[in-house]
Amino acid sequence: MKQRAETVQAIVSKITTMEQAFRYTVDLTQKQGGKTVAASGLTSDEVRFLKKACETFQLELLDFPLKLHAGGIHTSLTPVDWGIAETGTLVIDSSSEDVRIATMLAETHIVVLPASKIKPDSESLEAELNAVLMADTPSYYAFITGASRTADIERVLAIGVHGPQELHILIVKEDRE
Amino acid sequence: MIKTAQDMKSYKKQLKEALSDQFLRAALDNFYTAYRENRPAVYDGIDFEGIKKEIAAGKDGALPYLEDLYEEFKVHAETAGAKVHIAKNAQQANEIITAIAKENHVEKIVKAKSMTAEETFLNDHLEKEGFTVTETDLGEWIIQLRKEGPSHMVLPAIHLSRHQVGDLFADVTGKKQNSEDIDKLVKVARQELRPTYLAADMGITGANFAIAESGALGLVTNEGNMRLVTTMPRVHVALVGFDKLIPDLRTMLRILKVLPRNATGQAITSYVTWIKGAVECGASPSNRKVMHIVFLDNGRLALAKDPVFSPALRCIRCGACANVCPVYSKVGGHKYGHVYIGAIGLILTLFYHGIENDRVIVQNCINCQACREVCPVDIDLPHLIKKTYRAVLDQDGKTPAKNLILSRVMKNRRLFHFILRQGYLAQKPLAQKGSMIRHLPNFFEKRHGFRSLPVIAETPFRDQWKHLRKQVVRPKYTVALFAGCAVDFIYPEHARALLTLLERHRVQVEFPKDQTCCGLPALMAAEEETAQEVALQNIRAVQPENYDYILTLCASCASHLKHNNSKIFKKNSGWLGKLKEFSDKIIDFSSFMVKVLDVSSDEFKATHKKVAYHAPCHLCRGLQVTTEPRKLIQLAGYTYVRSKDEDVCCGFGGSYSIDFPEISAEILKKKLDNVEDTPAELLVTDCPGCVLQLRGGMDKRRGKIQVKHIAELLAETVF
Repeated sequence: MKQRAETVQAIVSKITTMEQAFRYTVDLTQKQGGKTVAASGLTSDEVRFLKKACETFQLELLDFPLKLHAGGIHTSLTPVDWGIAETGTLVIDSSSEDVRIATMLAETHIVVLPASKIKPDSESLEAELNAVLMADTPSYYAFITGASRTADIERVLAIGVHGPQELHILIVKEDRE
Repeated sequence: MIKTAQDMKSYKKQLKEALSDQFLRAALDNFYTAYRENRPAVYDGIDFEGIKKEIAAGKDGALPYLEDLYEEFKVHAETAGAKVHIAKNAQQANEIITAIAKENHVEKIVKAKSMTAEETFLNDHLEKEGFTVTETDLGEWIIQLRKEGPSHMVLPAIHLSRHQVGDLFADVTGKKQNSEDIDKLVKVARQELRPTYLAADMGITGANFAIAESGALGLVTNEGNMRLVTTMPRVHVALVGFDKLIPDLRTMLRILKVLPRNATGQAITSYVTWIKGAVECGASPSNRKVMHIVFLDNGRLALAKDPVFSPALRCIRCGACANVCPVYSKVGGHKYGHVYIGAIGLILTLFYHGIENDRVIVQNCINCQACREVCPVDIDLPHLIKKTYRAVLDQDGKTPAKNLILSRVMKNRRLFHFILRQGYLAQKPLAQKGSMIRHLPNFFEKRHGFRSLPVIAETPFRDQWKHLRKQVVRPKYTVALFAGCAVDFIYPEHARALLTLLERHRVQVEFPKDQTCCGLPALMAAEEETAQEVALQNIRAVQPENYDYILTLCASCASHLKHNNSKIFKKNSGWLGKLKEFSDKIIDFSSFMVKVLDVSSDEFKATHKKVAYHAPCHLCRGLQVTTEPRKLIQLAGYTYVRSKDEDVCCGFGGSYSIDFPEISAEILKKKLDNVEDTPAELLVTDCPGCVLQLRGGMDKRRGKIQVKHIAELLAETVF
């Protein structure tokens, strides 16, 4: 997973706790000179923790709906439903508009991927994906592999066109007690 | 605006312009080489041949049921809050979309790249209706600003240089741009377009897939603009061709294995997105997206039922048929398609944009088979291009003089061979000395003078045969030699070299006298009926039941006789059995020597002369013979040296080099440059047509490398 994701310019790190993910987010935002952080899919305790971490460094943790901050999201931190090792792909249920905005409009996108959620290839996710698509409810589902890219000018690869300019993957290794 | 040539004279003028555009030539050359070099690594560990057959079978299975798939899709998508429409043609699609925009009080529209919207000229329509439309894919935005059409289905602005883009962006932003820095140019698009997404009322996209069993759309993208187009505005309209309907997710995942690989050399694109129904949307008063899906027919439903052309609907728009096309690589997409570009464009244009836009461009196929080989859905593109040309001729109700003469002459072998013999007398004054005509008489146009031409043999092989035939006692194999016109009338020495090589192998060779042209030139001129007639003449002449093999020195004859005859006869033709027997026995020279006779290096004296090899299109792709000729060069005591792009066409293509000499010359130049970059003293190939082209070009440029048929090469070192 790590290797395949790195070949598409994602930056991959291993962590063991959510606190590490929050620290990573705050550090990176500060290093890049960003002022704002958006986060989705966190428990209320986690939100409190992240908010505090942000405040320490004078960063703003944006509140929902993110649409109101659409022009000004520096870093986003989102969970991932699955990973696909074969291609270094992240699978994210993006039916919530906040998740979409966080994953599309941020300059830097950080994801937290539990190691146990990594599947070998897209075929082994077929049943899970189909279950979502077959439901009668609307859905927006995404495979994300690396940062946004283009080769439209002279076929030169350029990273960060319309989507995030950087993609960071934090793989959480669960305790094996 | 797209200006596709409607007559040959203006087309030739356009081609000339394209061929003299130095930036375009360099850009396309680099792309052509890079794409083909990178491709094998991307397919490492993937069974391309297997998967393409699977996809093709899946697509074919679905085509008769497109309307059922549509109904199934509609039910599921509408249950999830979308509204699904059918548009019979382009005009109707544009009107439906306009109506949706008006109904929702839309002013500003953002668009993601969609070939289907290009097909209907949707932007023009919406702008006339007073809407502001902004393309957001970088390449599409660039060509929209320049008021051009795309020149490639995946890389729409590949014809432009960074400097042209830099100047354009300077105009747009009112600030000078550093054109050398492509990263910065890309960021200009990011900055300029960001506010546009946020201000837009409606987003328009295409879709790569419409999954019937769930009612979800599948979209495959890289830049991320499509995701913004489908997220920020309150209305989303997807314009989708009927051919994008597939039964299930599994089908999509299978196609996803090859689509990005073939299109851009990626294992997967940055984004693959599924959208089903009216998703959450804060900009909409109901908090739900206003979601419409418009399915475009525009001839597709009729095409799906067409016994000949339905495979064209398998196309997944990867663009690879342009990427590997030697003609595209010389002239670019604006001269090689209308809206749809490349080999598939030459076909679809007739059905989607009418005969006037296809009449001329459809003739510009050299039949090298590169597109057929690379196509991930197994469309026999060169074959369908000729079928399309036939349809053009039929619709026009005219037969070009060339076709009339060709059919008349080819059906009558005696007349045909009489004319070839007269050719020897006619050209005699032109060939001052030796076997080449270097200067064409004045009534030929200058552009035909890119190669010297061979002289027609004084005594064709058929007249030499009675002196050459040898009776073999207890032969191991009895073989009919199918000479083909070029060996028979221009290069009888190739056949004599073959006889020398076979002497020690107890092969009884016969030359069935009434054999005639293989029929390929007729098929290339879309004269299928003549090709059928000639095929039957050859069966009667050769009588395949009498031989173990039908051996030919010409890759084009071999490939035509092996594969095309089964395509041009009706499935219920009484001749199919005989045709199959004939084609099963066809074998090319190199395969016969290596696989049947199993020749060894003991038969040859070593010279270690360095030999480069040109792989004829109809051998390496037509018959999939690739290792045998190279092995044979080494067995015969030569040192084989690899040159760049060995398997790229030499530019001959039979009558192609007469119809499009300016392109043929450019393809040939590249080929010879590549060979001259090696230390080779000799260039060999196994097709007399390629010999004609390569030898003629080498002579014209006064090159030192000798060009030979591989049989001649072997005859020189055989003990």
